[in-house]
Amino acid sequence: MLTSPLFLEIVLFPGLLSIAIIGALLGWLERKVTARVQLRIGPLYASPAGGILQMFADLIKLSFKELFVPENSDAFFFIMAPTTGLVLGAALVGLIPFAPGLQIANIEVGLPAFLAIITLSPTLILLAGWSANSKFPFIGGLRALFQQTAYEIPLWLSALGVIMMAGTMNLAQIVDAQTGGWYILPQALGAFIFLVTSVAEMERLPFDLPEAESEIMMGWQAEYPGVLFLAAQGPGFVKLYAFSALFSVMYLGGFLGPSFLPSLFWMLLKTLIVIVLIMLLRSTFPRVRLDQLLRAGWTTLLTLAILNIGITYLLVVGLPTL
Amino acid sequence: MTDLLFLAFAAVTIGAAILAIEARDLVYGAAALGIAFLGVAGLFFLLDAAYVGWFQIAVYIGAVVVLILFTVMLVGPKKGETPLELKRVSLLAAMLVSLLLGMTGALANATAFPGPDACGSGCDLALFSTSLLKNYGVPLEFMSLVMAAAVIGALALSKTDRGQ
Amino acid sequence: MVAQGIPEIGSYIAFLFVSTVALVIILRLFVSPRDPRPTPEKKKPFESGQIAAGPGRTRFIIQYYPYLLMFVVYDVIAMFLFAWGLNLRALGASGSIPVLVFIVVLLIPLGYALHLANHRENW
Repeated sequence: MLTSPLFLEIVLFPGLLSIAIIGALLGWLERKVTARVQLRIGPLYASPAGGILQMFADLIKLSFKELFVPENSDAFFFIMAPTTGLVLGAALVGLIPFAPGLQIANIEVGLPAFLAIITLSPTLILLAGWSANSKFPFIGGLRALFQQTAYEIPLWLSALGVIMMAGTMNLAQIVDAQTGGWYILPQALGAFIFLVTSVAEMERLPFDLPEAESEIMMGWQAEYPGVLFLAAQGPGFVKLYAFSALFSVMYLGGFLGPSFLPSLFWMLLKTLIVIVLIMLLRSTFPRVRLDQLLRAGWTTLLTLAILNIGITYLLVVGLPTL
Repeated sequence: MTDLLFLAFAAVTIGAAILAIEARDLVYGAAALGIAFLGVAGLFFLLDAAYVGWFQIAVYIGAVVVLILFTVMLVGPKKGETPLELKRVSLLAAMLVSLLLGMTGALANATAFPGPDACGSGCDLALFSTSLLKNYGVPLEFMSLVMAAAVIGALALSKTDRGQ
Repeated sequence: MVAQGIPEIGSYIAFLFVSTVALVIILRLFVSPRDPRPTPEKKKPFESGQIAAGPGRTRFIIQYYPYLLMFVVYDVIAMFLFAWGLNLRALGASGSIPVLVFIVVLLIPLGYALHLANHRENW
């Protein structure tokens, strides 16, 4: 059992160890990209090359900080909520096909499964913000709740466009269905909506109101010491990895590519491009206010998503009959 | 193996449901309700209905539990206040309810309600979707009316609160 | 009897959960230091220097509550739309009529919500 392919996939790649390492490297990448945009250098010292071990140094430092809970807080949820968030973020990566056959769980309804796991995130953040019994975390938790529930529906509906075109909910089959052409062209509107809503789901700028550093002191993550801080921040990077990989699978043809390089390479390349794109968004746009954010999600994006369903319907049903 | 899994999921569902009712702190009760829904989702997976199982997770745990949590946090008893005292259900009442549920289950199992071309075992997703739309199109429209009424009602209720 | 792929994701999530909780427990027991003489200020809630006054869970953002209700309803709607979208090629235009009526009926509350959202003082 210990050497079965499933176990190796779970522990090494695309599972536990690779998620931990990639999560840490993404933290470093974010700091470097943001720094370069701001004409700084970013992490430099911790390493052989450009501060690449910086996040690992942070990890080691944080493990040696004391783990305590604030007084009058609810210790059970305070500890369990971010831990479960970390588990769910890593579970997302298990659904994605990185290469033909290299997928932890090839579920027949893979795409709804991914989105269903993401739908659990507002519950956990609400519990985390509530458990600290402190004003800033609670406000941050409520903002996260409203923000994420507002952007879930356009996320589901834009994914519907891909399912309509592919005729299957299985992620590996969606990749195979794009051998005739990547979906980003016919689904341009859907891809745009998916990108915007996934940035909102990850609580990244310009949607990082729940953890607004200059406003409410890291919001729902404010009271978390030591390793729990990593457990609160970590899911952000793991979700970035998972959503970018899903975007590549749904719109950029996943592991498809010219065969002179292995499929895994193409998959990782596309994922990396999407990740850097999302990181550049951070340095480009100002933060969106809560009511603007909710109004945009419920009115503009939802209408565009329904429009996208209409367009896709015409493309799938209408065009062949012409 | 599946029997063991069934017992495990059923135990989780029932245990979490009991916790949800008996918990002192309502937030714990709502979280226990979420675990109970997870048990139900597991039962759906055992019935080979993965689609319904994942949407059970998405809708019930992702939306209903969060709504309950928000409401409980808003209007629930604060720490230190006495929680709501419920009357103890008598043993006789518990036995009667179990008897009633058992009879209902036996009736349902005896195919008392034959549906039109219901999608039985060996039903894959495409067949499920076709049968849903072809055979249950009218119930689908009724559902859309109910849901539209629910949304309009929710929006209208929110408006009257700010009647100044 | 279980659907394809579910046992794998189930064992993966169970493995993740167990290893994460074990990691936190090990860190709490062995690695993280304990403070032999904690000061009372350490465990107080953080408010950028000022002393926290009043209960912690105060400012409820109630005015967006209808959005949560809409979320529940549209999440259920997504389930039916996904079932339809899967089979679109097989159903064609004629088979999609119930769903198109479904969508049109559900556009009405959406229009109402858009109308309400324009009255910015209510939200």
